[in-house]
Amino acid sequence: MRTHNIFARFSNLLFVLLIYAFLYIPLVVLVLFSFNKAQFPAPWNGYTLFWYQELWQSTHVWLAFYTSCVVATSAVVISLLLGIGLMLYCMHSKRVAHLMNLFYVNLVIPEVVLSVGLLSLFALCSIPLGIPTLIISHTVLGVGYVVPILYVRFKSIDQRLIESSLDLGATTTQTFLRIILPLLRPSLVMGGLLVFILSFDDFVLSYFCAGSTAQTLSLYILSMLRSGISPVVNALSAILLLLSSCLVLIFCSLSIRSRLF
Amino acid sequence: MDLKKRSAYYKPFFFGVPSLMWQILFFYIPLLCVVVLSFSGPTLFAYFKPFGEAQYIRIIMRSLLLALFNGVVCTVIAYPLAYFLVFKAERLKNLLLFLIILPFWNSFLLHISAWIFVLDRHGVLNNILMWLGMIHEPLHVLNSVTAVCIMMVYFYLPFVVLPLYATLERLEVRLIESSLDLGATWWQTVRKVLIPLTMPGIRSGFFLVFIPSFGEFAIPEFMGGDKEMYVGSVVSRLVLGTQTAGAGAAYTVVSSLALIVVSGGIYWALSRKAISSEL
Repeated sequence: MRTHNIFARFSNLLFVLLIYAFLYIPLVVLVLFSFNKAQFPAPWNGYTLFWYQELWQSTHVWLAFYTSCVVATSAVVISLLLGIGLMLYCMHSKRVAHLMNLFYVNLVIPEVVLSVGLLSLFALCSIPLGIPTLIISHTVLGVGYVVPILYVRFKSIDQRLIESSLDLGATTTQTFLRIILPLLRPSLVMGGLLVFILSFDDFVLSYFCAGSTAQTLSLYILSMLRSGISPVVNALSAILLLLSSCLVLIFCSLSIRSRLF
Repeated sequence: MDLKKRSAYYKPFFFGVPSLMWQILFFYIPLLCVVVLSFSGPTLFAYFKPFGEAQYIRIIMRSLLLALFNGVVCTVIAYPLAYFLVFKAERLKNLLLFLIILPFWNSFLLHISAWIFVLDRHGVLNNILMWLGMIHEPLHVLNSVTAVCIMMVYFYLPFVVLPLYATLERLEVRLIESSLDLGATWWQTVRKVLIPLTMPGIRSGFFLVFIPSFGEFAIPEFMGGDKEMYVGSVVSRLVLGTQTAGAGAAYTVVSSLALIVVSGGIYWALSRKAISSEL
């Protein structure tokens, strides 16, 4: 008890509340101003849904949203397939552990360096930039998350389950499909969701690898921000905020305890 | 039999191949490409000339300083917060943790536009301060180093809270209690027991902020105006510019080397402070 009294000195409720205010006030302001009748520099001028209507009718937004969805979904599917394949290999070879280290670097490297690398690779091989290059770059990021998540789960599987399945006459493929994959399912869902959100929100990789033809939602927001603030950005932000909050809510309810770090 | 055994051994390997190939082809080869590209065409120094070599070195130094500032400030703020979450939040723990994670999953362009609203000349902050009568002229916070720093801390704070939370959750509270019982003051306990015990969390949190914020370019672009350049913005301009991709690659290599050296130094310094709880 005494410990806690002593630490009250440097971690009290007021401090914590201030941090939460710091984190959330800008977002609240952003959402509030999406309902403002007047354009930004003007103060509050009454309530309207006009900007949402404008957003709904904008073909650019829908196109960008579609591109983002295509890229994110493809990145999820490819990185999960790659991860599952690697786990199948893991099942057979015990010495695979050091190969896993190959994948941990993805999370540590600054994204700008990776983007420059991918861009120079595409330039050297003269691959035109577009949706395929976007998918490739997002999958690289995705694999960096999916592989460690799957591997941690895979290691925690009771080896006896695999052994008894093999002893009872199942082939390795059957064992993998019937025993390991169902056990990996929570991690697959978690990894997939994570990659989807990351890819959907990613800005740096998209900025470098999109070229001039493909435009994701982040790049669309960027172009809108460059051309000056419009309440349409706020409306879009408010909707995105809601969407990703829902995804995070699912993500957290899936597993609050198992953490990324 | 022999053949069957061999195929059983090789088949799974082919399932592992795609991901390994992918990783090598789109992760390691690109990094190699940066190095190759950096030696192609005119050298980096050809591009240094218009700005002067000192300018580029200064940009690296400035980025390192910003990353260091960001890492330290985030850690210092996040530590008491994580402490609160672990030891005092009780029933609200999960909710509060969720609220920390939530903004972290939103596109950060969204956060940037939110902060532009707050910090702009006609923004919320200025309006409130003027209404309160604390200032008479609007402050020019946007497009300054202050705005960059605020935004950096705002964006990277959750990255530190999570590893610190995970470490503090596993902390042996008895060690702290015994330190206090044996007559150490609270400050001595913090410095000699608490911090060394939680050093792994502090270290990983610090690097999760330090490394990405070195290469950050959207935040300085939007919040800092174009007075102060950072590594990220220089690299993006050079690489996406015509004819300067080689110089951009070279600059990426040079600044990455600087980052690796400094990170190594900090890692070594922090590791010396760590002690294990298994006494």
